[in-house]
Amino acid sequence: MKIRVDPEVCVGHGRCYELAPELFGEDERGHCRLLHEEVPRELEARARLGESNCPERAIRIERG
Amino acid sequence: MSPVNPDPETGTVNLFDLELARCPQPVYARLHEQCPVARAAITGSPVLSRYEDAIWALRHPEIFSSAMELQMKLGTERPMIPQQIDPPAQTRYRKLLDPHFSRKEMARIEPAIRRHANDLIERFIDDGRCDFDPAFAIPLPCTAFLSLMGLPQSDLGLFLRLKNGIIRPPVKKPGDLEEAAGLRSEHGRQIYAYFEDVIDDRTARPRDGLMTKLVHAKIGGETLSRNEILDICFLMLLAGLDTVTSTLGCNIAYLASNPQQRKKLVENPALNETAVEELLRWETPVTAVPRLCKKDVSVGSADIKAGEMVTILLGAANLDRGEFPDAFDVDLERSRNRHVAFGAGPHRCLGSHLARMELRVAMEEWHRRIPEYALAPGETPRYSPGIREVLYLPLVWPA
Repeated sequence: MKIRVDPEVCVGHGRCYELAPELFGEDERGHCRLLHEEVPRELEARARLGESNCPERAIRIERG
Repeated sequence: MSPVNPDPETGTVNLFDLELARCPQPVYARLHEQCPVARAAITGSPVLSRYEDAIWALRHPEIFSSAMELQMKLGTERPMIPQQIDPPAQTRYRKLLDPHFSRKEMARIEPAIRRHANDLIERFIDDGRCDFDPAFAIPLPCTAFLSLMGLPQSDLGLFLRLKNGIIRPPVKKPGDLEEAAGLRSEHGRQIYAYFEDVIDDRTARPRDGLMTKLVHAKIGGETLSRNEILDICFLMLLAGLDTVTSTLGCNIAYLASNPQQRKKLVENPALNETAVEELLRWETPVTAVPRLCKKDVSVGSADIKAGEMVTILLGAANLDRGEFPDAFDVDLERSRNRHVAFGAGPHRCLGSHLARMELRVAMEEWHRRIPEYALAPGETPRYSPGIREVLYLPLVWPA
């Protein structure tokens, strides 16, 4: 599993790094900064949690 | 018997109906079923209630503009920054301000907010009763604002008076719009004058807090002008206080009326995180945000004309079954929640991380100190239309 974040779409709601800090970090403005593109199997549920709480739909999960 | 809201014959909705303020969810359900793009009563302006429509409008500021200070005069002499400005100018201000409102920055003032919450609770806990709005929901966000800005807590009373002078001008005759506008301007001038003095002081004597940071902040190598700083401060005063006050009131009113949910939260404080989000979705105290349409556009099956004011009904969007299949269940453990209580797109509430922290801390401390509370017997909470502040919320608990 891979995750992508569209920095043009993210406006810094911050739900992803609040809910899944193992995968999502924050930049100075509080916008999402991806910590891992490749999601370890044990964190797949966390990746989906981040994706499904982003009101902007800036996070995409790709199955690899 | 009040008329049906929305009116299915005309497709109009009265957004200032007291019943909508008290219990908006059934109105939202009827809007979704009957007229997802309704027209506001009196003004006739379009009202978007679908989640997809709301998100689309919020994310297209080039069509749905926020630059409408002339229509929305709130005692201001210029647009409030960054709320009443469109990208790209708005983006430059957000780049400057966002870091000061990040989750990390808010964590720094969390201990102070927790202390203030407990100080307030100490004042009435032994009484076994309180009027929640003046006793807790109004002062707490104001103390948080003063902490953040680096202003003295002794200015609390002054701030509450100035803010109310704009939001609820103390008119002698109810409904006197001219007197209200005059009072707004008068309080607006006092707000400008107060912050002018603070700018002078912080320029000469830098201290902790956001006021000092604003005085020294730079965009493209240039410090902010005095008016820019004033226009930012004005917005923070107007946007940062009532909104959290209203959310606290709506949350506690809901939990006082739903003892099973209250019990669940008291027994498991770890649920506060998702509960705050779910109650923001369910109550959405900032029910709507306005925009000015810049060009003819079709939304759903409705045509919106350039020059029309548009109401984006965030509260209705948050109850759209298209986005939330079980939208009308209040699930304090909801794991998938893309609510738009803080808006969306470039104008996403600047203070959302502050608000979330305040709400979580307030809920944690309130339920730790006063776990068993209920509405005072025989009393009915009273809600204000627009921003749903619970003006009267008498609570009792075993003292």
